[in-house]
Amino acid sequence: MKKLILLKTEFQNAIRVGWFLAFRQIKRSGKGTTTLIIFIMVLTFLNLVVVSGLLVGLISGSFKQFRESYSGDVIVTTLPGRDYIDHSPELISFLNNHPKVTAISPRYGISATVLASLTTLPKKNERANAIGARIVGIDPELEENVTDFSKFIIAGEPLNTEESGGILIGANLIKKYSSFADANIPGLDLLNDVDVGQKVRLTYATKSGNKVIKEFFVKGIVQSKVDQISTRMFILDNELKDLLPVNQSQYQEIAIKTDPLFASRLVKEIENYIGLDSARVQTSEEAIPSFLRDVEATFSILGNALSSIALVVAAITVFIVVFINAVTKRKFIGIMKGIGISPMAIQFSYILQAIFYGIVGSAIGLFLTFGVMRPFFDAHPINFPFSDGILVATAAGAGIRVVILLTVTFFAGYLPAKFIVQKNTLDSILGR
Amino acid sequence: MIRSEKLIKKYGQGELELTVLKSIDFEIKDGDFIAIIGPSGAGKSTLLYQLSLLDLPTSGEIYFNGVATSTLNEAEKTAIRLNELGYVFQDYALLPELRAAENVALPMLMQGMSRDEAIRRAEVSLDKIGILDKKNNVPSQLSGGQQQRVSIARAIAHNPHILFADEPTANLDSGNARLVIDTFKKLNEEGQTIVMVTHEIEYANKAKRVITLKDGIIVSDHKPVS
Repeated sequence: MKKLILLKTEFQNAIRVGWFLAFRQIKRSGKGTTTLIIFIMVLTFLNLVVVSGLLVGLISGSFKQFRESYSGDVIVTTLPGRDYIDHSPELISFLNNHPKVTAISPRYGISATVLASLTTLPKKNERANAIGARIVGIDPELEENVTDFSKFIIAGEPLNTEESGGILIGANLIKKYSSFADANIPGLDLLNDVDVGQKVRLTYATKSGNKVIKEFFVKGIVQSKVDQISTRMFILDNELKDLLPVNQSQYQEIAIKTDPLFASRLVKEIENYIGLDSARVQTSEEAIPSFLRDVEATFSILGNALSSIALVVAAITVFIVVFINAVTKRKFIGIMKGIGISPMAIQFSYILQAIFYGIVGSAIGLFLTFGVMRPFFDAHPINFPFSDGILVATAAGAGIRVVILLTVTFFAGYLPAKFIVQKNTLDSILGR
Repeated sequence: MIRSEKLIKKYGQGELELTVLKSIDFEIKDGDFIAIIGPSGAGKSTLLYQLSLLDLPTSGEIYFNGVATSTLNEAEKTAIRLNELGYVFQDYALLPELRAAENVALPMLMQGMSRDEAIRRAEVSLDKIGILDKKNNVPSQLSGGQQQRVSIARAIAHNPHILFADEPTANLDSGNARLVIDTFKKLNEEGQTIVMVTHEIEYANKAKRVITLKDGIIVSDHKPVS
């Protein structure tokens, strides 16, 4: 018991002296050296958080766009093999009266052929300037409320309920605008010589085999990194319904805007209202294509791998910094041991210094991540081919990395200090 | 207080083996002021390092207050160095980041004294050595003589039983060297036991006992020549 008390006292004294030494060594060491070490720690922290955050952010950016540009927070779609969402009118009424639903956009789509060259016939061995595409009927005002649809217009104007006969064409369907135009992909047909103001002819085959033909003028071109915008054509909902002999009051997609935190509960409420066999009801996250999830998982693994390398580099960096610091002060470490300062106190002073650099580096890194870089990338996303990349950095994730960095820093500070402190006292004093 | 028995210290191995201390029997008593002198390579500093528990002898024994130090572990020896011994090194050995008072206070902090009390006692010690006005200076702001006096203040502040000094005047001009030796003499008159290695006969003669080493053997142990 007496020995335990003695050990406790020794430990307390060692911590006090370690703190005393560390505080003064940090305070009175060269400002240039301190700044350099902290700069290295900041870079290490950013390497841990930002590199993986940007990698994951490339995919998360596409998830965000999928939600904001197409699905809303919750999306109701037809079940596989069905033409429409059962009980569509009742569901729309339910959603319109739901206090947590801020906007909905019901859509109906058909597959049709769109012919672009109406006045010239194709030459021998030349295909018609036509393309098969999904034609989606929308209510421009409702769609605007959910997806801010007009922002996708890159040429021409958005649809207007007051003006019939207009069609918006996705950029990836037109040679002039498509990013795939130069790819020469076999079987990929794009419309030639189509632009705003021109006429196109839409041909739709009904279930009974009848053909419905109607001409539209190109009112605008829409472009987004979400395929559901760039590879579709859009006309007014009532004009599309006029083409249909049946299902005129039904819909195939209903994008719903609500509180994101309420989305899962709304899914349950809708399922309870219309039944599980009426439609597929998903949150935006659930509706994301599975390949994107796979890409996210891969990027996440890649990010973690890079973070692990960064962590090893960080550990080695701190180790070298503390080691050099301890080696250059080997004589003074020897003197301290010589006058009776315990090895534990000396080691503790080096650990404290290493942790100080880790804490300051992490604090500056946190500020740069959340105060500078994240707002910057939110405002200026990275222009990635299939998404606008953002910086994904959560408080929890950053907190875990701070803890990891400090743990690594602890050992990287402790080991070299222990190594030097273990050297023969007299050899250290005499520098031999 | 400290006694050595058949103390032998060797360096190197095989053909390169060098015996620096050859069976030294020696005793330090309370109130002694011992000067160890001898030519270069005689083993003066080596003997001091063995007696002050900074190094391990190859064979033989050192008894501290009757306890064989070969039976003590490193922590116990560190505790003896902290509580019972004081050191003055040739090159002052002050910690560059600490102010003079902080350098002096450090061993007392390790003993468990509060920071304020340790600093207060450090100031008393600095005052005793006549350098209190430099208490807030870091070593780089002090001259060699001032640094050595701070080093002496550190060595005596915690009231050690024995003060060991290894060539304390070697790096000082004659004025400062005399000041240091006078300080030692005064401390010894107040009861402080001192063991000092020096190569200056003039300073050795200020001690009460002069031990002459030659080729690792004590060739004389006598009172100084007046």
